[in-house]
Amino acid sequence: MASNISTDLIRGHTDTIILNVLQQGDSYGYQIYKTIIALSGNQYELKEATLYTAFRRLEKEGYIASYWGDETQGGRRKYYRITDTGMQRYKQNKQDWHFAKNVLNRLIEGGIQNEENEPGS
Amino acid sequence: MKRMNQDLNQKIRSYVDNLFAGIGDSQQLYELKEELSINLKEKVIDYKKAGMNEEEAFKEAVSSMGDLSGLVEDMRQIGQDQTRKEVYSSMTARVSTVGLITGILIGLFGLLTMAMLYFMKLPLEAVTGPAIFIVLGGALIAYSLLTRETNKKYAMTKVRAMLYGLSVGLILFSLFTAFTSGFATGEIFIGISSFMVFFLAGFGLLLGLLFTGTDRKKGR
Repeated sequence: MASNISTDLIRGHTDTIILNVLQQGDSYGYQIYKTIIALSGNQYELKEATLYTAFRRLEKEGYIASYWGDETQGGRRKYYRITDTGMQRYKQNKQDWHFAKNVLNRLIEGGIQNEENEPGS
Repeated sequence: MKRMNQDLNQKIRSYVDNLFAGIGDSQQLYELKEELSINLKEKVIDYKKAGMNEEEAFKEAVSSMGDLSGLVEDMRQIGQDQTRKEVYSSMTARVSTVGLITGILIGLFGLLTMAMLYFMKLPLEAVTGPAIFIVLGGALIAYSLLTRETNKKYAMTKVRAMLYGLSVGLILFSLFTAFTSGFATGEIFIGISSFMVFFLAGFGLLLGLLFTGTDRKKGR
């Protein structure tokens, strides 16, 4: 898996990542954990500790809602689903991400072409 | 296999209990523990499928969870707030109270109507008609009682309480059909046969629920 610095970069998007999983269908803790690993192509693991903290925050903010499954074998799962406001939030975050991605790419990899500002000219 | 699962459940339970040891009880803590336990268990099972033995699988599952201290602190906060708050003031308790009162009233309505019809000297199959209200009332009472958080026990999850309500309803309904069809035809065997269908369904459901329940007692 990637270095700590790059996981920090990703961690800032935990909420959006979870919302993306849930906008594709209801799911529960361990399944969401596995889905995120699979989505990253086995390159990133979002720790369960971070995940549960995010669930609580997202639920408090009204972006997701939870309900108990009706499994009878060995304990019930707590499922999460995305709410309408959560869906709006997800779309907004996605737009923001596209914007930031473009700008950051220019800022980090772009070469300076304007020659007027060159020193000594 | 069954026995091994019991051991694993026990191990996970005590790990999770330990994690939140000394923290004030709250409905949220109870639910978080349930959530953590089931997810941890599925993870251990997956690791075992990947070839680890149970001990390794458990250790790996626990250590790969990450730093849970934020969550623990969160729960401590809620536990402290909770002790200041009266248990019965929560919204679900009020809903459950309304359900309980409605259930009892519906049941009484059925009972009194039956008494009225009986003393009006109507035929018995007509007298048993209003018993359907007792069936409804009984199911509602069962549901409301179970979703209620008391001083000693946490509230049951809604789906489960609904299933309990359904099973009580089915059992009462089986009695209802038994007496109604029995009196209407005057044949006891018809009463028994119609009783059997709903009773077995309801009783089966009830047994299933009883055998799969988790302990809701507080202060474990």
